[in-house]
Amino acid sequence: MKRILFLALAALMTFAMVIPASTPATAQDAETLEIYITGLTEDTMNWFNDVAFPAFQETHPDVELEILTGGWGDFDVTVAGWITTGEGPDIIYLGSEYAATYGTLLYDLDPFFADWEEWDQYLPTAVDTVSFDGHIRGLPLLMSPRPIFYRADLMKGDVPLTFTDALAFAEANTVIADNAAAQWAFMDIGGDLFDAQEFIGYVWSAGGELYYEDGTSAFDSDAVAEAMQYMYDRRRIMRPTEDTAGLPPIEGTALESGIVISGIFPMWAVPATSDEIWNNVTIAPYPAGANGEPLVQVFIDWLSVPAYVDDPELAVDFLKFLGSQEMAIELKNVAGFTPTRQDAWDQIMESDPVWAQLLNLTVEYGRSFSDIRASAELRPLIFEQMTLFLTDQQSLEDTQMYMKEEYDAILEENGYLD
Amino acid sequence: METQARLDNLQWSLATVVFIIVSSIALGFLVQFLARLRGLSKAEQRKLFWGVTFAGPWIVGFFIFVLGPALASLYYSFTDYQIGDSINWIGVENYRNLLSGEGRVGRNFNKAMLNSFYYAVIGVPLQITAALIMAMLLNNEIKGIRIFRMIFYMPVILAGGPAILLAWRYMLGSNGGFVNESMRKMAGFFFVFDYIYRGFIFVVEALNGFYTGIVHEDPVGPLKYTIPAAIAALLFLSLVRGEWGEGKRLLAWRGAQILGIIVFYSLLAQGLIAEPVDPSWIYVVGIVALGMIVLLARQGKREVRYVQWGALVGLVVIALAALNHVEFEFTSVAFTRYLIPLALVATAVGGSLIATWDRHLIQIITATIVILSVILFVRLIPGQLDDGRLNVFTEYLTFGSTLDTTTDQDYLEKVYPVASMSPFWIYGLVIAVLIGVALLDETYARARRYLATGALIFFALFAIGSFLDARTYFKAFEEIATAAGKPVYHFALFRQAIAAFPGSDRVPLWMNSELWSKPSAILITMWSSGAGMLIFLAALKGVPQSMYEAAEVDGATASQRFFKITLPMISPAMFYNIVIGVIAALQTFEIVYILQTPLTRDSLQSAAFLLYTRTFSELHIGEGAAMSWILVVIILTLTVLQFRFSRSWVHYEA
Repeated sequence: MKRILFLALAALMTFAMVIPASTPATAQDAETLEIYITGLTEDTMNWFNDVAFPAFQETHPDVELEILTGGWGDFDVTVAGWITTGEGPDIIYLGSEYAATYGTLLYDLDPFFADWEEWDQYLPTAVDTVSFDGHIRGLPLLMSPRPIFYRADLMKGDVPLTFTDALAFAEANTVIADNAAAQWAFMDIGGDLFDAQEFIGYVWSAGGELYYEDGTSAFDSDAVAEAMQYMYDRRRIMRPTEDTAGLPPIEGTALESGIVISGIFPMWAVPATSDEIWNNVTIAPYPAGANGEPLVQVFIDWLSVPAYVDDPELAVDFLKFLGSQEMAIELKNVAGFTPTRQDAWDQIMESDPVWAQLLNLTVEYGRSFSDIRASAELRPLIFEQMTLFLTDQQSLEDTQMYMKEEYDAILEENGYLD
Repeated sequence: METQARLDNLQWSLATVVFIIVSSIALGFLVQFLARLRGLSKAEQRKLFWGVTFAGPWIVGFFIFVLGPALASLYYSFTDYQIGDSINWIGVENYRNLLSGEGRVGRNFNKAMLNSFYYAVIGVPLQITAALIMAMLLNNEIKGIRIFRMIFYMPVILAGGPAILLAWRYMLGSNGGFVNESMRKMAGFFFVFDYIYRGFIFVVEALNGFYTGIVHEDPVGPLKYTIPAAIAALLFLSLVRGEWGEGKRLLAWRGAQILGIIVFYSLLAQGLIAEPVDPSWIYVVGIVALGMIVLLARQGKREVRYVQWGALVGLVVIALAALNHVEFEFTSVAFTRYLIPLALVATAVGGSLIATWDRHLIQIITATIVILSVILFVRLIPGQLDDGRLNVFTEYLTFGSTLDTTTDQDYLEKVYPVASMSPFWIYGLVIAVLIGVALLDETYARARRYLATGALIFFALFAIGSFLDARTYFKAFEEIATAAGKPVYHFALFRQAIAAFPGSDRVPLWMNSELWSKPSAILITMWSSGAGMLIFLAALKGVPQSMYEAAEVDGATASQRFFKITLPMISPAMFYNIVIGVIAALQTFEIVYILQTPLTRDSLQSAAFLLYTRTFSELHIGEGAAMSWILVVIILTLTVLQFRFSRSWVHYEA
């Protein structure tokens, strides 16, 4: 009995060793390129498989391509897992602020893009987004400009372009009744009158920056103080005390509701640009501080090549292919990805007046949400400190001081300071 | 391409199956071999072989998927592992940063732990009460009871789902949300309910405002003495009232044990963050270890060996930690500060290992404990009990004040907390008196009564005195801010909450305020407490009807039947629900993840959520691993304590 068992054991062990090694020869010869893009629809997946990949294989016949997708909910964990283990797709989709997060863990693609002349077509702000340490780390895929939308038919007064005018606008267009908001002059993305990205936008439009030239945090600057004070004053107009209730539930989009006069909304949270409501909507940049300029924040999602990839040249070949004018236009049509290269805009400009306006504002006022160092740690720091300030638990001076001290410590810990 | 992927999958699946089979059989052979070495019979060897082979897949899985990652995470917790950087061993630095509460990460960890404790201490009792009420309602035999049971259980399946949590966000909307609208309507109909509703808002906001101040580490001033003194006064009040019995002795012991564990862990955390390790720790480890050795040896328990070896290992660790930081020379003061206590304790512990246990050995070790205690006490006096710090006792017993000045904010925030006596001395005093009361047997009944009554009066006066001084302390912030024409930032939310009784237009801002975010999370967990309800329902079904009938015949009221029959009879179910509830509360994650907004993120953030973000968003694997191990120790300690204390109130036999 035992001899049989030993024999079976030996056979199984041999079997276990042989099987993983017995990959068919044809599969080993073909090189595989895996591309991960977050939140793709089935139609877009099909387009990649049926249109884009066969077109790429015409020039790269030995390359097998695979498109992968996933949700935003586990995005951080998924990407961190790939980067940690060094096992993952060859091309990874990243959000606007991730260049500084993954920095040197992504390939420096300068040598591979050296002869690529099409960079000239890309918005300079998009190229900034995909750069880290002065080197290209990927290709801009799509952009999402984030201006302020105003209901011109409901608002009292003109579109404000300065903080002072914006406060007057908030005063004139906010209605509070029975210790609850009945109408708000302004709504931010989260609906809570505060958002970290918006705060950074106001720092920029107040003429400030997040960093001094020596790389330390500029949270102690006058521009930051001006942006903070503006957000605080605006909050106190729309929520006179911290026990004032917010707006009643909104059915449909906030822009259509009639109880929100202006706001910052992503394009997926507004009606289709063919909707008639757009006849009553004015689009404008963020108001500016005393020494700043109005701006439109632009979020650019991009495709990167992680440093663990064996054949970065092949990955860049695919990026060049996907970044061509023709593919950019097709991606807009199939997936709604707004191109970051301007020579792909003609059709949009002609067919969609809302997007035409958005793109013009982007060119004039656009600033990409990029070069945010240690963004994953900065965001909770801003949440923590601004919450204390906005809810009257901490003075403006102390808030600035703590943000400066702690962000400097974070920058140092993460190797951004010498 | 697709075919190749399928082939790959198939091959890996097959290889996995083969690996499991092979490793299981190999494990079986290994155990059989070991059994042969131990001289077991052939039949026993065969039994072991097949038993382990069939349990093999689970054992192999445990090693690969549980033990392996756990050990890896333990290793990472002692490193600075950050994705993208090299891994360097940094010793207990991560633990030191987290436990010190300093810096952004330490402070956030402190906050997150306090939030998790809030979920456990406030949330679990409310959840259990809700589950018990539901179970008692559903224990009635009425038509369609199964449908009702299903309805009450349904939230358990739904509650964790994002869609339901998002639905709760709408229901808890401050303006027009279902919950607030219903409450408003009811308040409009009944004026009594209106006052109750507003009173509820006042109480919740005041309590949460105060808790938020604590979480934000606003200085509490003399209130740091009020809390232990008030706890002590309540404990001694329970001991003084009525006749003395075994229950009261147990209460005194349990009180001393719980406070002792809290103080020990707090001091241990402080000891860990000290650099280099304070030599006082050698005395503490020595006193605790020798005390346990004497107690266990007197009872003849075998566990004494573990304590002896554990103490020696502890001493070696402290010696190595000290060597790492202190420059040793045989003539240096630092050397004698460490060497003398190390030698003293090591000799006593080592001697207890070698020598035979008799009365003399016990006397020698007890004398060593006394000597160590006296040296420790004398060591701690400088900076702890000198410079007039002891005047808290005379001042508070006569309702005086220990505050030097009340017009300088720097003094209130920075000088007073350092220059005043540590509240640990009050905790120590309470523990000492509790042990004294517990140790005095019936021969000293009168002395015990005097001690307990004296302690009650002492701590009650001390609590009142320190509370009055705390009021002065809190008012001083207000006066200073008013004089400067600025808002008061000290316990700001608490002050805002108690400034005025809520008007009729006030509603809870469930999702939009730090004051309501944690109650919102608890409300949702209460709604989904159907799992606990099922356990209670099963237990209630097991209570014999004859007991109620007998009690009724004896004239027991409904509340007497509940407290004297129902609760004791379902105590095992209650115990199970508490243990599971506390563990789940300390691991709260989904609710925080989905309900948080930029303004409530900090107030909702639990320890589990923080370790997730620190690890996977901020990519600091080392610190994340250290957080998880601290959480493991806390959960284990709480669970062990619950099991230990359950013996007196959980009844497994009817």
